[in-house]
Amino acid sequence: MQLLCTVFIHPEKQKNTITMKNAINKVRNIGISAHIDSGKTTLTERILFFTKRIHAIHDVKGKDGVGATMDSMELEKERGITIASAATYCEWLGHEINIIDTPGHIDFTIEVERSLRVLDGAILVLCAVGGVQSQSITVDQQMKRYKVPCIAFVNKCDRSGANPFRVIDQLKEKLVHNAVALQIPIGLEADLEGVVDLISMKAVYFFGANGEDVRIEDIPQDLLGEAIQRREKLMDAASMFSDELTEAILEEQEVTEQMIISAVRRGTLTRQMTPVFMGSAYKNKGVQPLLDSVTKLLPCPSDVENEALDMDNDETPVTLTSELEKPFVALAFKLEEGQYGQLTYIRVYQGSLSKGDAIVNVRNGKKIKVGRVVRMHADQMEDIETIPAGYIGALFGIDCASGDTFVSPGLNLTMTSMFVPDPVISLAIVPKDNTSQINMSKALNRFSKEDPTFRTYVDDETKETIIEGMGELHLEVYVERMHREYTANVTTGKPRVAYRETITRKAEFDYIHKKQTGGAGQYGRVAGYMEPVTGTEFIFENKIVGGKIPTQFIASCEKGFRQSIIKGPKMEFPVTGIKVVINDGASHSIDSSEMAFMAAARGAFREGYFRAGPVIHEPIMKVVVETPSEFQGVVMGLLNQRRGIIVGSQDEGPLCVVEARVPLAEMFGFSTVLRSSTQGKAQFTMELGSYKQVPESIADELAKKAETEKKGK
Amino acid sequence: MIKKELILQNPLRFIGNETEDILPEGDFGAVLARAGVGKTALLVQLALHTLLKGKYVLHISLDDPVNKISLWYKEVFRHLTKSYDAKEINKLWEDLLPHRFIMTFKVEGFSVPKLEERLTDLKEQNIFSPQMVLIDGFHFNETARASLSDLKRLAKNHWLHVWFAVKTHRHEKSGPDGIPAPILDVSDLFDIIIQLQPEGKKIHVITLKGEPGGSDRPALFLDPATMLLKDNI
Repeated sequence: MQLLCTVFIHPEKQKNTITMKNAINKVRNIGISAHIDSGKTTLTERILFFTKRIHAIHDVKGKDGVGATMDSMELEKERGITIASAATYCEWLGHEINIIDTPGHIDFTIEVERSLRVLDGAILVLCAVGGVQSQSITVDQQMKRYKVPCIAFVNKCDRSGANPFRVIDQLKEKLVHNAVALQIPIGLEADLEGVVDLISMKAVYFFGANGEDVRIEDIPQDLLGEAIQRREKLMDAASMFSDELTEAILEEQEVTEQMIISAVRRGTLTRQMTPVFMGSAYKNKGVQPLLDSVTKLLPCPSDVENEALDMDNDETPVTLTSELEKPFVALAFKLEEGQYGQLTYIRVYQGSLSKGDAIVNVRNGKKIKVGRVVRMHADQMEDIETIPAGYIGALFGIDCASGDTFVSPGLNLTMTSMFVPDPVISLAIVPKDNTSQINMSKALNRFSKEDPTFRTYVDDETKETIIEGMGELHLEVYVERMHREYTANVTTGKPRVAYRETITRKAEFDYIHKKQTGGAGQYGRVAGYMEPVTGTEFIFENKIVGGKIPTQFIASCEKGFRQSIIKGPKMEFPVTGIKVVINDGASHSIDSSEMAFMAAARGAFREGYFRAGPVIHEPIMKVVVETPSEFQGVVMGLLNQRRGIIVGSQDEGPLCVVEARVPLAEMFGFSTVLRSSTQGKAQFTMELGSYKQVPESIADELAKKAETEKKGK
Repeated sequence: MIKKELILQNPLRFIGNETEDILPEGDFGAVLARAGVGKTALLVQLALHTLLKGKYVLHISLDDPVNKISLWYKEVFRHLTKSYDAKEINKLWEDLLPHRFIMTFKVEGFSVPKLEERLTDLKEQNIFSPQMVLIDGFHFNETARASLSDLKRLAKNHWLHVWFAVKTHRHEKSGPDGIPAPILDVSDLFDIIIQLQPEGKKIHVITLKGEPGGSDRPALFLDPATMLLKDNI
C-alpha cells in the first residue's frame, strides 16, 4: 500500500514560499473544460479538497445552500453553470497548479477566449454516459484554435449506462483525437471501485469517507487480460513519440514507467495524443491519479511559446521567454469586483512582478505602482510578495480593463491586439426604481471595464440608457447578470441593429442661414460640396479663400457638420464615409456669430445630403456554423432564408463547417432556431464582417418603421 | 460596363472552342502543371470569367480550406481589375460573390455520391445551382476512371462544365501524344487538356487536346508576377 503525498502550507507561512519555489517546471496553469453538467465544477471542487485547499465538499446544486467553491457568482450557482472564470491555486506533489475555471458556454466567448489565452494545458471532462456532446465539440474547437494540449477525464463512471470506452471511441470519431486509455475502470456504474493504471500495471482503490485514502494493489485477476491488451494499445500509441521506447519494445528490453510517461507527454504536448483517465468525481474515485497526471503530462509555462505584439513595430509578434531577469510582461485576463475593491487577475509571461514595482498599462500608457500582490482561491485571497513569469496572480486596487497588458517601463508590447470592433447591436434598458438605477450604473461601469466590446451611453433625446454589444446573446447575458449580481431590475427594449447612413455621389450645397426677427440677428452662408470617401468616417476640408467666411467661424462650420453626422437626416443613423469641403460663403459684420455658422452648416449639410444619394448600410456578420454533416443541408437552408450568402462549406469528417455572410438584422433568434433544427448539435459563431448597403425593399421597410415609431413618440 | 470590358479583354477566349463557354455542357476540361506553377490561378480565372457572365460556379477543393480558396479569388480579381475605379470594383465583387460557392472535402471524404447529394440539396432548397464546377486536388489513381465516369453522368444530368486541376510530377513519363501520366489513362473523358509549362521566366499555356486550330491564335502565357493569363509578354 502506498499513500500519495500532498503538501499543504499554512497561509501564514506562504508569504515567501512562492519566491523560493519558483522552479518553473513545477508550475501548471490548467483549465477544466467541459459540457455543462458533465461534472466540471464537482471535479474542481474535489481537486481543491484533495489538495487541501478546502476542508469540506459542497455540491454544485447543494442542499446546504453553500454551492461549490469555484462558482462564485450567484447566477452560476443557480443555473449550475460557470460564467466567469475564477482562477484558483493549489499544490500537488510539490507542483503548483493554477486552475482557471473556463466557462463552457458558447455565449460567453470573450471570457472563454481570454481564459484559453492564459492556460497552458487543460483537462477535458466528458460524461461517461453522455459522451462527446455538442458543447464538448465547441470547447474542443476552441482548444484546437489556441493549441492547448489536453488530457481527458471520463467522469460519472458510477452512473448507470456509463461506458468510458464508448467515450474514447467518440473522442476519436467526433473530435478526431488520438485518444488512448491510460486506465481501465474496476467495476462500472454502482460497482465502480477504482481504476487500473496501465503504466504501472497496478490497481488503484479509493477508501475513506471522501476517497482520500488511496491504496495501490495488484490488478484483480478478472481484469488482467483486458489490462494487458489495453496496455499494448497504449504502448503502440506511445512508441510513436519516442525512439527510446520503440527500441526497448523491439529489443524486448525493460520498459520503464518513465519511458512511457515521457513518450505520452511528448504526444500530449504536441496535441497528437490525448491520454484518457476515468473515474467519478462525485464518488471521489480517480481524482488523485488525474492530479498526478496533470503534473506528469501537461506542460509547464516554459514548454509553451507565448507571443506578444510589438506596438513600435506594426504589431509584429515577439516571442516571450519565462526568464525572471527579463523585463516584465503580463496580461490582465479577468477583473472582479470584490468586497474590498477591484481585483485584477494577471498572468505573468516574462520577468516578475513584486510589491512596490512600477509598471505601465500599455493601452493608455499610465504608470502604476503595485501596492498589493495576491493569490486567489475562488473568492478568498492571500498576500504574496512576487509573481514570477509563468504564474497567475492578482493585483489589488488597480484601475484597468480586461485584456490590458502590463509591462516594465520602456517596453511597448501588447498581449492582445488593440483592435476592438465597434458594437453592432444596441438595446435600451430602463431601471424599475431608484435602487435599481444606482445598481444598474454600478453594473454597467464594471461590465464595460471587463469587456471592451460592451459599451453604454445615455441617449440625449429619449434619456434612455443604451447598451451596445456584439450580438443578441452577448447583451442578454449582461442584462441577466445585472439582475442577479446587482439586483438591478431593468426592462429592456427591442434590440436595434447599428445601421449607418452614407452618401453615394458628390453633391453641392449653398445655404444661407438668416434670422432677423427681433433681438440680435443671425446670418451665415456656407457653400461647397460633399462626396463619399472610403476607409474613414468624416473629413472636413476648408478651401475658403479671401476670408469669405472669417477664420474664427471655420471651426463653427466644422462643428455644425460634425453635429449633423451624429444623426443622419435620412433615418437618424450615424453618417459615415463622407467628406465635406467648403469653398464659399458670406458673413455679416454684426449678425454673424458662431451660433449662426453652426446653424448654417447644419442647413448646408441637409441640403447637400439629400442630393448626394443617401443610402442605409447594415452590418453583415461573418457567420460560421459547425454542424454534424447530416444537418449541413438544413443549416444552409436556415442561412439562406436569412438573406445570407453562403461562402462555402468545409467537410471535416463527421463535422461540417458552413461559412456565410448574413445581415445582423436577420440573425435575431438564430441560436434557438439552429438548436431546434439540429437537435442542439450545431454551434455557431458570429463576428462583424463588413457594412453593406441595405437592399431597397428592406430600406423602405425600415423607413416605414421609423415613421411609425416617430408617430408613436 | 466593367464586366463587358473584363470579359472581352480576357485572353481566355483564345482557349478551347470558339463557343461562348469554352467547354460544352457535360464536358470535362483539365489544367495540368507541376506543383506551384499556377493551376489554381488559371482555374480561378476561368471561374471569374464565368462569374462575370452572370453564371454560377461551384469550386470544390480537396486540399485547401475555404478561406484560402476565397483568398485566391480576391487576389486574382484584384489583379484583373487593377486599372478600374475601386468603388465600382468593390460593387462588382459584391455582385459576383453570391454566384460562387466553395466546397471543401478531405480527400478521403470525397465521393461522387456525396457530391451529388450535396448538389441536389443545394438545388432543391434553391440555395445554389451551379453551371460550372471546378475540382482541385482530385486524386487520379487506379480508381479514378470509375469516379470520373460517375462524375460525367452527374455533369450531363445537371448540365455542368467541369474543370479539373491536375498535378503532374517531373519523374512521370508522358504518353505518346504528350499527355502526362496522371490523366493518360482517362484522357478520353476529357475534351480539353491544357498544360502549364514553365520555361525560364515564362509559363507557357499549351493546349494538348481540344484546340480548334488556326494559326491566328496567339501563344498564351501566365504572367509569373500576377499569375494572370497574357497573350504577350
